[in-house]
Amino acid sequence: MPQIEFKKITKEYAGVKALNEVSFSIRDDEFVFIVGPSGAGKSTIVKLLIREELPKSGDVLFKDQSILGFCGDEISNLRRKIGIVFQDFKLLESRNVFDNVAIALEVVDASEREIKDIVPNVLSLVGLSSKTNLFPNQLSGGEKQRVSIARALAHEPDVLVADEPTGMIDPDSADELMKILEKINSLGTTVVMCTHDEHIVDRSKRRVIRLDDGKLKSDTQKGKYRE
Amino acid sequence: MNSTVKRMMQNIKRERLMSTSNILVMFVTFMVLGVFLYVIALSQTAFRYLENQAQVTVFFKDDFVEKNILELKDKYVADKRISEIKYVSKEDAFKIFSEINKNEPALLESISASILPASLEVKAKRISDLSSLAEEFSKIDGVEEVRFFKEVIETFRFWSTTAYIIGFILVGIFMLISYSIVISTIRTTISSKGAELEIMKLVGATDDYVKSPLIYQGVTFGFVSSLAAGIVFVFISAVASFFKVLSFGITFGFLHGLFLHPIVFSVFLLLFLLTSGCLLGYLGSYTAVSKYLKY
Repeated sequence: MPQIEFKKITKEYAGVKALNEVSFSIRDDEFVFIVGPSGAGKSTIVKLLIREELPKSGDVLFKDQSILGFCGDEISNLRRKIGIVFQDFKLLESRNVFDNVAIALEVVDASEREIKDIVPNVLSLVGLSSKTNLFPNQLSGGEKQRVSIARALAHEPDVLVADEPTGMIDPDSADELMKILEKINSLGTTVVMCTHDEHIVDRSKRRVIRLDDGKLKSDTQKGKYRE
Repeated sequence: MNSTVKRMMQNIKRERLMSTSNILVMFVTFMVLGVFLYVIALSQTAFRYLENQAQVTVFFKDDFVEKNILELKDKYVADKRISEIKYVSKEDAFKIFSEINKNEPALLESISASILPASLEVKAKRISDLSSLAEEFSKIDGVEEVRFFKEVIETFRFWSTTAYIIGFILVGIFMLISYSIVISTIRTTISSKGAELEIMKLVGATDDYVKSPLIYQGVTFGFVSSLAAGIVFVFISAVASFFKVLSFGITFGFLHGLFLHPIVFSVFLLLFLLTSGCLLGYLGSYTAVSKYLKY
């Protein structure tokens, strides 16, 4: 059963097509790269997937259910099943590492005990156990991104979507990050990673969905960045 | 503690200075609102007091004897427009005259009860009925003169009504100011927490989870500031009562003939301010959240 399905999705911004009849599906436990140059439509796919945007036509299914009709709490529930990692981290400067991760649990009204149990576990998974009390301005770019991943994992999502997660970090940190994402995938979480980092894609030998100018150009198992 | 209240308290604690200044601004607004309401009530009280004192005095000719006057009094005593009708005989009039002029023995020696006219003192329930009553009495045979200070009463009535209308317009304006203060307060909070609110939404917070603490915050600001303003008015009224100021009570335009003790009045004012504070806090924060919370 596909976990995520895009059916002939067309999305326009001010009359300009960001996605043009794009269709693909992603199964449980897959690790998929969505690649393409800037403006290819990668971030639009992420926004459609978390129901931040609506398409002009087509349908988006999550676990066989169309998400286009979702509103209010249904959208919130969807976002609890899809963890997101952003290129710009989206961390709160006024909160330390622990509290930045805890926010994902606070919004689902988790108890303090649950927060105290879960946050150290996910921080340990991303290798930040020793930096719990540091603030974002005391962390490197790679560490900030790992906090962002820990936050995305806190409520045990079915899918982890990373939108250009290596875009603002150095190559060594990017490699570290990939190891973490692969580890997360091996533990049973579907990982969808939008990127234009050719080195990472080519080395991983994973499925690659390639977009260009809003159109799906190729969808290859164990693919490479370039055709 | 309820998690929404807890998160609201965290918001207020994190923005302690801004919260304090917002509460102070709203406190001043509610103080001004309360002062206006007090001014309106006092002007109404003065008007009602004068209204109660205002009367038509009907003087009778000497040939209109006491029996006829008392019959006339009995006829009017049941009139719905009249609150009180009192017969003042020639002897009573002389007693009053003597009391007023007790330091003028020469004048008193030259006047006797027979010179002074008997009269009826008529008080109306509403000041507006005095004119029609005066006209009716003046048409009765045996009435020599009808006297009442029409122009003074009409002038006071005009200014009292004007003060009443202007006061209510000003109260309305201050309500609007309070409302816009709450909106800008919550707007500031939303602006300062923009990133946090956006992240909350992206990690799966429900609309209620994000909005409720902000709405609670608006209501709390309204509640605390109006409560503080109300307590000040209760305190002032308690001091006024202690010094026996306004001992006859305070009334309001729509509470005809009902005079409230100043402390009771200020408790009603406190309840009114509290209700207004909470309502304005709710409406203001709800508007701000709907208008400015975009994620």
